Amino acid sequence: MTENATAQPAAGTQPLLSVRHVSKTYGAVRALDDASLELASGEILGLCGHNGAGKSTLVKILTGQVHPDGGEIAMRDAPVELRDPLDAQSKGLAIVDQELALAPDLSVEENLFLGNFDLSLLRRPGAVRRRARDLLSRIGLAVDPRSPLEKLSIGERQLIEIARLVGRDARVLILDEPTATLSENEIERVFAVVRELVREGRSTIFVSHRLDEVLDLCDRVTVLRDGRIVASRSTADIAHRQELIKMMIGRELPPPQRSEAAGVAVGAGAAIAGLRVPPAVADFSLNVEGGQIVGLTGQIGSGTSQVLRALAGLEPDARGGFTLDGGAVRLGAPAAALRAGVAFASNDRKGEGLFLEKTVEDNLVATRLDSLSRLGFIRGGALRETARRLVDFVKVDGDRIGDTVEHFSGGNQQKIFLGRCLDREDVKLLLLDEPTRGVDVAGRAEIHQLIRQAALAGVAVLFASTELDEILDLSDRVVTMFGGRIVASLAREETNAALISADMTMSHERKEVAL
Amino acid sequence: MPDILRFRGPALRPFLTLAVFAIAFALLPQYATGEVGTANIANVLTSFAGIGLVALALGLTMIIGEYDLSVSSTYLLGGMLAVKTGGDSPVLGAAIAVAAGLLVGFVQGVVIAKLRMSSIPVTLGGFIALLGLVYVLSNSKSVNYSDLKVTLGLNEPVLTVFTERSLIAIGIFLVLAGVFAFTWLGRDVRAIGSDRKAARTSGVRVDRIVIGTFMSSAAISCFSGALLAYSLAYATPNRTVAPLVFATTAALLGGVSLSGGRGNPLGIGCGVLCLAILNEALAVTGSAAYVTYLVTGGLLLIVTIVDAPHLLRWWRTTKAAENLRAGFSGRPPAEAATGGAR
Repeated sequence: MTENATAQPAAGTQPLLSVRHVSKTYGAVRALDDASLELASGEILGLCGHNGAGKSTLVKILTGQVHPDGGEIAMRDAPVELRDPLDAQSKGLAIVDQELALAPDLSVEENLFLGNFDLSLLRRPGAVRRRARDLLSRIGLAVDPRSPLEKLSIGERQLIEIARLVGRDARVLILDEPTATLSENEIERVFAVVRELVREGRSTIFVSHRLDEVLDLCDRVTVLRDGRIVASRSTADIAHRQELIKMMIGRELPPPQRSEAAGVAVGAGAAIAGLRVPPAVADFSLNVEGGQIVGLTGQIGSGTSQVLRALAGLEPDARGGFTLDGGAVRLGAPAAALRAGVAFASNDRKGEGLFLEKTVEDNLVATRLDSLSRLGFIRGGALRETARRLVDFVKVDGDRIGDTVEHFSGGNQQKIFLGRCLDREDVKLLLLDEPTRGVDVAGRAEIHQLIRQAALAGVAVLFASTELDEILDLSDRVVTMFGGRIVASLAREETNAALISADMTMSHERKEVAL
Repeated sequence: MPDILRFRGPALRPFLTLAVFAIAFALLPQYATGEVGTANIANVLTSFAGIGLVALALGLTMIIGEYDLSVSSTYLLGGMLAVKTGGDSPVLGAAIAVAAGLLVGFVQGVVIAKLRMSSIPVTLGGFIALLGLVYVLSNSKSVNYSDLKVTLGLNEPVLTVFTERSLIAIGIFLVLAGVFAFTWLGRDVRAIGSDRKAARTSGVRVDRIVIGTFMSSAAISCFSGALLAYSLAYATPNRTVAPLVFATTAALLGGVSLSGGRGNPLGIGCGVLCLAILNEALAVTGSAAYVTYLVTGGLLLIVTIVDAPHLLRWWRTTKAAENLRAGFSGRPPAEAATGGAR
């Protein structure tokens, strides 16, 4: 049953953007089915749904990347055709994607006006500098317009992209998973800018899996499920994220189940002593027992990612002691880490993980080719059998084992990625960096279950996450980092979200507790 | 000085390298046998005129993140076409060479931009096919140019150290440097090399610029070949890959990044001058040919190592390690006072 399924703003306000009965089909898959929504001037609309619900298709249609099979899009009641992204931008619809459309080798001001056709062919540095400063001041960013973009933080770059779109007079800003790579401070900064822009009469569509952020930022939330808009409600009427989750998956999400073996020591596990990774990690010592799941958390820049990368041998400047089941492991050598039984899943599954143009089968067996070969020749039968078993293990549609991974949703891609590290007898330490980034709540529960199964099999698990819910759901022990050091290491039962938040930011209240 | 000409950071490196080379060249007589005078400067500028434009042509494609292997062939093709068609009118011969370059660049550019193909196989095919064409046109022999007035005119000294040919080459460098510095086109070219997808999403007309860059590259290369053939009074099909090696070295010395997004015509000009000075210095000191190869190779290695991103990171982390020993800079005072983890 749908709730107010034609997603409308408050009565009496003229919609800035109207989506009317829009549909899109890919082959036999109905990606978007008769979707309608409206967005008022000065409104922030949250767009939620699990992976494959149709959010990406709707966003791509609104930004001219995909053409709908049917239906209509209108700006201020005037139907518009969005031929391509530039055409959409010229009509006031612009997107800030997770992958920013900025050129790192150019300066801030060059990026601000990249692709801007309003400028004459000849550069007028004085005028451009003034316009750049004006745009930067509108978003409250105090950087020199001549600075190279690559010197700015990810959060600042995102603000540069927003400034650029404001400079092009974007009336509707679509923010697609904008906070996935931002620190708490940067998220607050981006949200403040969005609220300011909305006060100017612009509107925002905020697409995110981070439901607390949706409820915090948005005036209204529209939920997609299986290509249909199933609900649209004012966020003021939603008391808790669980309500939103229920709308998204159509049922209550079962509470996280803790593995029976979790916390039960199986092997000696990993012992890390005095790990240093300049400049990110100053001093890190920790024991992770076999069968134990340790959650590592901290703000972006706290050093959590570098700890995992160092243990995987990917930080050449790492120093310190690292033993696995009693045997010393050389740092700075990925091959040595692999031989010792370390498996690592990066937070960048597209850049450092999956072979996107290869099939599910190719990806799942990529880390097992040695064990599936004899005298250097791959045993085809054993390979297919292993791939089939792993597909079932990670709960991906077995009929699509021959499909290339690029065509899967983010959640399924992540499961395939993790499938390479899981269910392997040679793995003693599993390192996971943001294991559910960009994954919906249902997919996240499945991935958590896979991680618990690994712990159940005696593997020591050390994972990093900036999402407190995930840390609290999954960890036996929570380790919080700040400024390259451990500031708290507590059993799950001894901590809670408020305590972790305070530790992450070293806020005054927490320091009093600590003292 | 206009703000956009104030080079900073890595963009400044080619100018500093050139300054070091120029000073070392001027001081050469104090440390080695041989003299340095205006004739040597004229030789440097003649070398610049001979191969500088090929480096510029190749460098432009490197800035957009591509690599035009066919510049060696278009260089030969331009010379051959100019010699064969410019007997009555050198301007017509040069124009035909440039037109042929534009056509070659257009075909290669369209294939690369529209079919999203890597430039390596496309321009490798172009290199081989055009080399074959040059052999056909020349009947596998050097072809002489009969209008000696043109040859003498191009080599006539101007202001002691310049020639008409070197001034034309310098002029082309300056025009393109102006395009990079004073128009948005230069920024768009660098943006495409820096992140093509981002440039496309931002509204940069990527395909047009890629095609235009390959057309410019091939046209400049052909024109350079025509200039050389006129000034030598003959064209040869036998220079194969030597210009490509020189051009690549000069572009890299000039601050162009193989991964794209970095570089400008003035920097490439500095790279060409550095190599020309080096060759002249080795000639003045009577060094053997193998010394030239060893020194040039060593120099390129040093420059690329100095520009390596990991070296910079290593330097920063070393500095950070010093900070660590002195007390970790990111450590909050309160936490430092209490001693860290519980």
